[in-house]
Amino acid sequence: MRFMRFWSEREADGGVATADLAVVPAAACARWLLVGAPNVGKSALFGRLTGRYANVSNYPGTSVEISGGALAAAPDCVHVTDTPGMHALLAVTDEERVARRAVLDGSGTIIHVADASHLDYALPLTLQLLSLGRPLVLVCNLMDEARARGVAPDCAMLAERLGIPVVGTVATTGEGVDALIAAALAAAVPRDGWAQPRPFADVAQALDPAQPLAAELALAGDDDYARAAQARTPGRWCAALSARVAHWGDESAFAVALAMARRRMALALLDGVLPAAVPQRARAQRAIDRWLLGPVTGFLTVALVLYVGFYLFVGRFGAGTLVDWIERVVFGEWVNPVVQRAAALLPWAPLRDLVAGQYGLLTLGVRYAVAIVLPIVGTFFLMFALLEDAGYLPRLALLLDRGMKRIGLSGRAVIPLVLGFGCNTMATLVTRTLETKRERVIATLLLAISIPCSAQLGVVLGILSRTPMGLAVWALVMLGVFVAVGLGAARLMPGAAPTFYLELPPLRVPQARNVLLKTATRVRWYFAEIFPLFLLASVILWAGDLTGVLARATRLLVPLVRLLHLPDAAAAAFLYGFFRRDFGAAGLYDMAARGMLDAAALTTAAVTITLFIPCIAQFLVMKKERGLKVALSVLAAATTTAFVVGGLVGWAMRLAGGAA
Amino acid sequence: VKCEMCGPAAACGGCPIASGFYLPTTLATLQPGERATVEKLVPEQSSDLRKLLGLGLMPGVDVEVERAWPAVVVRMGFQSVALDGALAAGVVVTR
Repeated sequence: MRFMRFWSEREADGGVATADLAVVPAAACARWLLVGAPNVGKSALFGRLTGRYANVSNYPGTSVEISGGALAAAPDCVHVTDTPGMHALLAVTDEERVARRAVLDGSGTIIHVADASHLDYALPLTLQLLSLGRPLVLVCNLMDEARARGVAPDCAMLAERLGIPVVGTVATTGEGVDALIAAALAAAVPRDGWAQPRPFADVAQALDPAQPLAAELALAGDDDYARAAQARTPGRWCAALSARVAHWGDESAFAVALAMARRRMALALLDGVLPAAVPQRARAQRAIDRWLLGPVTGFLTVALVLYVGFYLFVGRFGAGTLVDWIERVVFGEWVNPVVQRAAALLPWAPLRDLVAGQYGLLTLGVRYAVAIVLPIVGTFFLMFALLEDAGYLPRLALLLDRGMKRIGLSGRAVIPLVLGFGCNTMATLVTRTLETKRERVIATLLLAISIPCSAQLGVVLGILSRTPMGLAVWALVMLGVFVAVGLGAARLMPGAAPTFYLELPPLRVPQARNVLLKTATRVRWYFAEIFPLFLLASVILWAGDLTGVLARATRLLVPLVRLLHLPDAAAAAFLYGFFRRDFGAAGLYDMAARGMLDAAALTTAAVTITLFIPCIAQFLVMKKERGLKVALSVLAAATTTAFVVGGLVGWAMRLAGGAA
Repeated sequence: VKCEMCGPAAACGGCPIASGFYLPTTLATLQPGERATVEKLVPEQSSDLRKLLGLGLMPGVDVEVERAWPAVVVRMGFQSVALDGALAAGVVVTR
């Protein structure tokens, strides 16, 4: 029951727009909505305002979901909502649509967060928001960087010109946050009717006097709003269209002309607000970028990061040293003896098994989660957070863009794919930042089949540590399957070639606080996700064992397992694999530790279990994000690939072994 | 590459410069270190136009090309953005 509730809650807070916006405060509550371009510090500011931590990253596209929270200073009267970054109201990606719906369909005060160093870029959006006729506050965030560059804006002067409060803040230190709260509490509806440039405003007003901004989007070629306008007031829509064609031409000409008009307004408003400084990127930044993005040095850096960061730190230290220590010392010496003794006091044998038996809650569920999964996931997310905070990930995306294009993806997909090495489920959610449905499906498929999550990766590294040959074969097979699946999917799925565009944030020295917070948030998310599943799996396996269902189900799998030339006991491991892939891998880990598997069998098992069906959590997220049809197809593809490739690898290795 | 006079290059047999057609300078043809001003946007599709406008690229904006490989990286003020060759070819500039 608890478990079901857990899942339905997850579904609710993961859903797009409608479900997210349903998480509303009490009626008397004021609502604040944080809006702005990607990577300007909305989520950090959200954290400051609510005391809650939304994912803060030095790359665009981390807040793929809308998160809400009560204002920490006045929890009963203000509800704050964070939105995904959007470049403009003319949306390109799903996450931008999510953000736009929150802005145009919502109510309450809008807080536009902008990068203080780049106000000329942000102000056109401020002007658009002004024509919504709702209370508005402009936040110039990252003031510290702007001051260091000598381009800090004069907020008071800008506030007077715009007729709305303008507050300078540094979200990471909390500077200016109190002033922002005061300004947002006092914000009134701004004077209206000037922010939409003149000739455009006339046409937009004629089309939809209540929502001129929606009218403007419709005329600029936004399908959602164009359809709505056509359906609601067909007569006015026709008149507006002919006015547009007469004045500007097609939707693109209208969109460009409008954007330029707003930019001219913005530059006029900023005249005197910004000091006259010549923007220059620091030379050190340029030099590092030349290194990170160079054709030779760039890939050298990737190899180095993979080796030191992932192989040595996550693989050797996390999956080796830490796992051993927690298993041997923490569980072996402290936890297990206590649990065994305590369980011995229980009156009924099956109950004793439920706590401390072969499939016991503590001996199987908790031990796998804490001893095998936690160290690997923790070290992986720590490494990921370091790279993220330094600003390396967008550079990686840029570097790999050309290669990714061959498998039907753009460089943008690198971020969810790399995150997938941490948690496939989380990464499947993040594929929402990709632009076309084709890209999202290909990325989902690649994640489900060929990207092992960190728990699997660690366990696979663990079981194959005895056979370096096996590890090499496994790695090559995974790479081969990744490329083959990508090439195949790109070929089979119709659709236009993806385009790549991404802003490159400045490179920064990672901040300990950011890195630790990010790691902690992801680990917490991961555990909220998997812990109940581990416990549930324990209970189901225990019940199955008790009733004999498990033995029967395992027997059904035995022919398949024999086909792969694996010992029959491996069938049980595959069965666990249905609950979580890493859970199944952990089962194999136990068998390998007891010496039941030789090199060929180990490699076969590692390959099969890595390619095998995604865990339940990932399946549910796939179903929610991509629909049941896609989810089932991915499931079928993954299962087939797993057994076919696994079988082939085992056969080839035995053949090679026999020949030698 | 799009030709100023006849749209996609293929439509007019490759837009040979010798034949007198004007082959425009775009972000894709600039060298690293060159500065230019955006003159007009001629994207392949309307969704590309939204991306360019969203990044702040529109007529009148000054840019500096930082890199041409692995994709075009341009700097506007303190912000650097990366765009692939297809998108960059849709931004006509004057040096």
